[in-house]
Amino acid sequence: MIEHDVVCPFCGCLCDDLEIETEGGRIVKVQNGCALAESTFMNDVRLPAPIRRTETGWEDISYQEAIKETAEILQGADRPLLYGWSSTHGEAQSVGVHIAELIGAVIDNTSTVCHGPSILAIQEVGHPGCTLGQVKNRADVIIYWGCNPVEAHPRHMSRYTTYATGFFVPDAQRERTVIVVDTRRTDTAGIADEFVQIEHGGDYAVLSALRAIVRGKASVIPAKVAGVSKEQLIRIAEICKTAKFGAIFFGLGLTMSRGKYKNIRNAIELTDELNRYTKFVISPLRGHGNVYGSNEVFTWMTGYPFAVDFARGIAFYNPGETTAVDILRRGECDAALIVASDPGANFPRAAAAHLAKIPTIVIDPHVNATTALSRIHIPCTAAGIDAAGTAYRMDGVPIRLKKVIDRGYPDDAEILKKIYDHLNGGKGP
Amino acid sequence: MRVILESKVRAKPNLPIEAEAIIPRNFLKGTDLVVYEGNKERTLSELFWIFVEGTAVAPENIEVILKGDTSRIKRVGEYMDTGSIVIEGDIGMHCGNFMSGGTIEIRGNADSWLGREMRGGTILCRGNAGHYCATGYRGEKKGMQGGKVEVSGNTGDFCAEYLAGGTVHIHGSAGDFPGVEMRGGELIIEGDATRPCGNMKSGTCVILGTVHDMLPTFEKIERRVLPAWKITADVYRGDVANRGKGTLCVRC
Repeated sequence: MIEHDVVCPFCGCLCDDLEIETEGGRIVKVQNGCALAESTFMNDVRLPAPIRRTETGWEDISYQEAIKETAEILQGADRPLLYGWSSTHGEAQSVGVHIAELIGAVIDNTSTVCHGPSILAIQEVGHPGCTLGQVKNRADVIIYWGCNPVEAHPRHMSRYTTYATGFFVPDAQRERTVIVVDTRRTDTAGIADEFVQIEHGGDYAVLSALRAIVRGKASVIPAKVAGVSKEQLIRIAEICKTAKFGAIFFGLGLTMSRGKYKNIRNAIELTDELNRYTKFVISPLRGHGNVYGSNEVFTWMTGYPFAVDFARGIAFYNPGETTAVDILRRGECDAALIVASDPGANFPRAAAAHLAKIPTIVIDPHVNATTALSRIHIPCTAAGIDAAGTAYRMDGVPIRLKKVIDRGYPDDAEILKKIYDHLNGGKGP
Repeated sequence: MRVILESKVRAKPNLPIEAEAIIPRNFLKGTDLVVYEGNKERTLSELFWIFVEGTAVAPENIEVILKGDTSRIKRVGEYMDTGSIVIEGDIGMHCGNFMSGGTIEIRGNADSWLGREMRGGTILCRGNAGHYCATGYRGEKKGMQGGKVEVSGNTGDFCAEYLAGGTVHIHGSAGDFPGVEMRGGELIIEGDATRPCGNMKSGTCVILGTVHDMLPTFEKIERRVLPAWKITADVYRGDVANRGKGTLCVRC
């Protein structure tokens, strides 16, 4: 059987035009998807049943037992941490927020190690953005700053930018100018019309210089800024100013390098400055499929997009203080529930080491590096493969993930609801 | 009156304590105060040995002394308006938040957000201060608006971010981006600084040590003698990336 218009849940692009062929409850072919999509659907090796750590290894336990023990661990904790959420659907994320509020936990999502700084910058100066459809149909200047979509978002360029035919840009490849800014020559840089190679950590200075040039203060700028010549900066400012519609996309090269959210703030203010001449927008290239959704769900439920601390019964937010990495690094938390993510592989060593010291429970379809640090691992459905639900694309457009096959696992939202029931004496959220 | 609070040994010493109740004014009516340890509510006496010496009729005559392991205690002196607090060791985050009067002396190191959104009064930190010393809250347009913060040691990154008024004096070095988004007040760094005053709008910053990675968007105006510091300094105006009219003086 062939299922049409399937949504790939892997990255923030949420491509919704995949064709998936199933045979006897197995996926046998993925069409239209990139290599990452194909691997997501084809190499979907699951943990068969819940497991619990014993002194010598692991033992299988029932879902009921695993849920009961998880609830007891969370109930007894003085500073529990609920982390992850970005690879599952909004329905599970909302139950997570309810649990956090009930037990006075800190709830955080993977933005904390990816685009958290972008959110901090947006909270300072706002977000001049638009949907990807606008970019596809209108943009004639595209800037990729500190990101490598050829490898990380392989279909971004063919669906929305460089190779996508738009209503007002019919001959995309000839009409669109692509500028790539990076510290090294990536694969994306190879197809750029203009490649700007900056010294590591020099993003802020280059953005400041571009702002000054756009403002007509080029005389102040020295001959070279972070390895980039003044001539090239003036040329780029001119390309941007004469564009019909420009779009900046940025990745972790900007958010997670020196200066962090100040880099993004500077990029947003450059966009603001360019809007005095033409239409310009800026958007983050989000990683996890539904990381934008976790920001949306957290915000409509608590008022804050990530790093929400319910210890005092009300929502408090202060990245650096209530973010998962910082809480773990300082050794504050005494129990952790990890849902749909892999901090064991991505967190700094000190933070991951603390996860191994405390009772950590993982709810995730796959065995990952966090399993090795955990006490209990409960397998569940994978959103977009064997569970339906709502996810948000990187530009904030909600897309319904489809259920392609049934593999007999319980939905993570159901598991979380049962944990909530246990914590709340049988009353659901 | 002197109130001495000595921290008790805790089973989980890393758990943060939120103790915004520890301000001199609150001790006029006794020591029956509430603090929070993790997600649990505790009385002050559950976490501290409390000793009270003498009496006071006005809050300005109250001195609070914190002893023992106080490095995880947050929000001490929040909304403090008078009196004094002496911390004999290290102090946790958000010490002196929104403070409008009185003095806080920290004999050890202070964690991040020391004197956040401070309005008045004095904070003296004998050791080092963490990140975001004398700044504002996330997304706020104004950080510290008045008073004085003096740090004998070094500070972390983003010191005096959004500084809008008052004086911040760092005797040691500052980390990355001191005085970023500054829009008023005075920032003095006797040691080194990296990328100072990014995107500043107004205010004055004086750096007596070495500046690393000076931003390209500062316009050199003149070289002049600063009699207050007995130095000759290059005076820059910026940040020209915005309409900035701030002054950055760097010793030459």
